[in-house]
Amino acid sequence: MNKQLIKLIDLSRCTACRGCQVACKQWNEQPASITHNFGSYQNPPDLEWNTWTLIRFQEIEDAAGKVKWLFRKDGCMHCTDAACVRVCPTEALYHTEFGNVAINTDKCIGCKACIPACPFGVPKLNPATNRISKCDLCYTRLQANQPPACVLSCPTGAITIGDVDTMLAKAQKRVKELGGDANVYGDKFVDGTHVLYVLTEKPEVYEHLPAAPKVADSILVWKDVLKPAGLIAAGAVVAGAFLHYITHGPKTPEEESTCEGGKNS
Amino acid sequence: MKKGMIKATGPFERVVHWCVALSCLFLCITGMAMMYHSLNVIGTLVGGMENLKVLHNYCGIFFAVSLFFTILMWWREAGLFSFPEDMQWIMAAGGYLWKVEKMPEVGKYNPGQKMFFLAVAIFGIVMVATGLIIWFPDGYTVDTLRLMYILHALGFVVIFAFFFVHLYLVTIGAPGSAPAMFTGWVTRGWLKTQHPKWLKEMEKDGTLIVYGEGKYRK
Ligand code: HEM
Ligand code: SF4
Ligand code: SF4
Ligand code: SF4
Repeated sequence: MNKQLIKLIDLSRCTACRGCQVACKQWNEQPASITHNFGSYQNPPDLEWNTWTLIRFQEIEDAAGKVKWLFRKDGCMHCTDAACVRVCPTEALYHTEFGNVAINTDKCIGCKACIPACPFGVPKLNPATNRISKCDLCYTRLQANQPPACVLSCPTGAITIGDVDTMLAKAQKRVKELGGDANVYGDKFVDGTHVLYVLTEKPEVYEHLPAAPKVADSILVWKDVLKPAGLIAAGAVVAGAFLHYITHGPKTPEEESTCEGGKNS
Repeated sequence: MKKGMIKATGPFERVVHWCVALSCLFLCITGMAMMYHSLNVIGTLVGGMENLKVLHNYCGIFFAVSLFFTILMWWREAGLFSFPEDMQWIMAAGGYLWKVEKMPEVGKYNPGQKMFFLAVAIFGIVMVATGLIIWFPDGYTVDTLRLMYILHALGFVVIFAFFFVHLYLVTIGAPGSAPAMFTGWVTRGWLKTQHPKWLKEMEKDGTLIVYGEGKYRK
């Protein structure tokens, strides 16, 4: 049985009530931060170790000069090919049976490798505990067959969760209905994410949303090339040394002994 | 100490060398414990992977200091090539791979050792620089940090491979070398085989210290 789940965020239905943001904090017992108004309803300004999901507010002007207000629920995308999982030295970050990326806080060593690895800028470090904390798609709720807190809280039905095929079909259907620039975001990169968006604008219009996210080449070189190369190179050297010893032989001093006065008699 | 042994290294030289060698080895082991998930068990020896990470970081500082003194001490002798004899030595692969009739005479360090020194010095600096940035990443861009991780891994691959070459040569590959690291006294025969030019230089300059002679007379 395939239990892979997808959380679909239909931005065309989001009213930026921030119910999900509050529900996430409440369920996951995350404190609020003291922030300062920076001229936007967006609060806090960015994802934080204690803010796993954030409604981003953005004003754009369309071709006709009409101002549009865009809202986007930001947070972990639960990548199938997750850069954070690739780089984590202790397997603290891992894929669960639902395909989401959860974190085993006991295993996290606060190395911060996952922070620059993530193409979406999601993982944040809790300085007090020196541990990464991020959305885990409410893994414990999923295990109890319950929807994530944000899904449950959403009053407009903008956030829903279900199996992969159903949600993909649902997203595509919605995009057709919306027409224009609307598109499905999340199925075309990093082997598909377990969070899908229905965007009303092209991806590049949204702030902090990479149009073509991918696991950085540097991570592939590091983990797929250099990591095995370390063992291969050392192994080759050890084998080479052994071969050298049994074929060519060691470089032994011609005169073994040392005599009085450091001179050979 | 046997009479007639020749002094090859001083106590400062040996201490610095052991410091850089052991810290480098410790860094390789703890680094590998983080690089290869199957080696995470090494962490249990020090009370968990978080401790291991912290030890790796502080050992890195110790390594940096040791490396500083290593470079200060050896850059003239091991960091500069002397032509043409070093080139000839390299063309003959140091006489290690095939029979070579007449090897160019090498001084205190042969070109192979010089290359090892340069690799450790250059990649050692790279490891220290990249390691510090990875340790304290605040203020660096994502692209910079990603580059640091690649360089840190690359430096490990190079140093780790070279380490085994070095270990082989100073143990069973060129017998008689190890005492240079322990007592500092080596045999004349070893010097004549490994570093003939150095031996001649010391004899010419009168800097050769032989056990049982001069102030080392019992
Ligand atoms: C168990 C570990 C090691 C032992 C027993 C050892 C032994 C030696 C010996 C005997 C020499 C002198 C060889 C000669 O003059 O012919 C030497 C040289 C040297 N060692 Fe090591 N070494 C060790 C590890 C290391 C490590 C880890 C590094 C650096 C990270 C290092 C760096 C050097 C350098 C730069 C030289 C001078 C150039 C050379 O002789 O290659 N050593 N070592
Ligand atoms: S969005 Fe970032 S943190 Fe979330 S799974 Fe993908 S790489 Fe990991
Ligand atoms: S900070 Fe924690 S979760 Fe992130 S890579 Fe390091 S050990 Fe893994
Ligand atoms: S899935 Fe759970 S943890 Fe993730 S944003 Fe929603 S409420 Fe927060």
